[in-house]
Amino acid sequence: MKSVLSAVAATTGCLLLLNGCVQEPAPMCNMAGIAAQRQLVAMPAMLPGQPSPLIEMPLNSVNITDFAIMNKVFVRTANARRTPTGTVEVIAQVINCTDYPLNAEARTQFYDAAQVASEPVSAWKRFNLPPRSSNTYRESSIGTRTVDYYMVEMRETR
Amino acid sequence: MRRLFKMSTVFAAGLALTACQTVDNTAGTPTTYVDPGSSGPVRGVGIESQDIISMTDQMMRDMLTEPRLASAATPPHIIIDSEYFQNESSSRLNKNSITDRLRVSLNRSAQGRMQFVGRHYADMVAKERELKRQGVVDKATVPGAKAQKGGDYRLGGRITSLDSRDPRTGMIQRYNQIVFEMVDLETAEIIWSGIYEFAKSAQDDIIYR
Repeated sequence: MKSVLSAVAATTGCLLLLNGCVQEPAPMCNMAGIAAQRQLVAMPAMLPGQPSPLIEMPLNSVNITDFAIMNKVFVRTANARRTPTGTVEVIAQVINCTDYPLNAEARTQFYDAAQVASEPVSAWKRFNLPPRSSNTYRESSIGTRTVDYYMVEMRETR
Repeated sequence: MRRLFKMSTVFAAGLALTACQTVDNTAGTPTTYVDPGSSGPVRGVGIESQDIISMTDQMMRDMLTEPRLASAATPPHIIIDSEYFQNESSSRLNKNSITDRLRVSLNRSAQGRMQFVGRHYADMVAKERELKRQGVVDKATVPGAKAQKGGDYRLGGRITSLDSRDPRTGMIQRYNQIVFEMVDLETAEIIWSGIYEFAKSAQDDIIYR
């Protein structure tokens, strides 16, 4: 009788523990995993003859530059395509991983083939992120032939 | 004697007052520049600099994706001014700050894809043309034109708002909606539309001048 009771208690405990692990609804963001993919280089910027240490902000990507939302949002996709007039449109889908509404804003810098800024950086564009939902950030370039790369910076709206 | 005493007293008092008025030899309050594209230290519920910069940048980039405006075989003649851009909101605002920024940024970015007509300068141009034709001034260097340029498309739009206030807390909320439309000046067809909207709330509204 004693062994049966202890077995039941152990099973219940395990179930409770498992339940505790999977109680978070979708979307689930593994911030530890995302952080593990980041590469930080301990080197001052712009050393002659050295590659740039700014691996944290690669081109053709969305970079969250604000600690306030770094572990709250997740950039699901970042794509670019040509519009009918030849300009480039950047589209990024952003997911709010929290149970609270967030206000974020982003801007885009477009670069030419030599990775030089080809036009003025866009203005900050706000977008709302309801709890546990996604929204899409879009930005279009000004130029047509001088756009080869882009970089999006994202921060919390204050 | 008594009169002399009074005069000397007044003179001494005057000297004493003069001695009090020394130069305040300290540094003045430094001017604080703020980024016009981000919220500054003074924030209200109305349209502010970051909204103007954001909305005009957004509209400018969006217009450049419209083929009828940005990739027509012949660059269209565009008129952008505040003549048909109405402010019906509760925000006190110089609407020229929106249309001027939009025209300037679009003109600089279009690089020949569109041509801009300065209709708000029509009177200035007409006066100079008249002086040239009367022979009061010479013909200058640019060849003469039959007439000033007409417009193919002109900007119209409207700013509206919706205010609400909680009488218990004094909290105020304002929804701002700014509509931009490019209208064909022959057919009245709206060939491009853009909307910029936002809502802000604050405990006390600030004063816009």
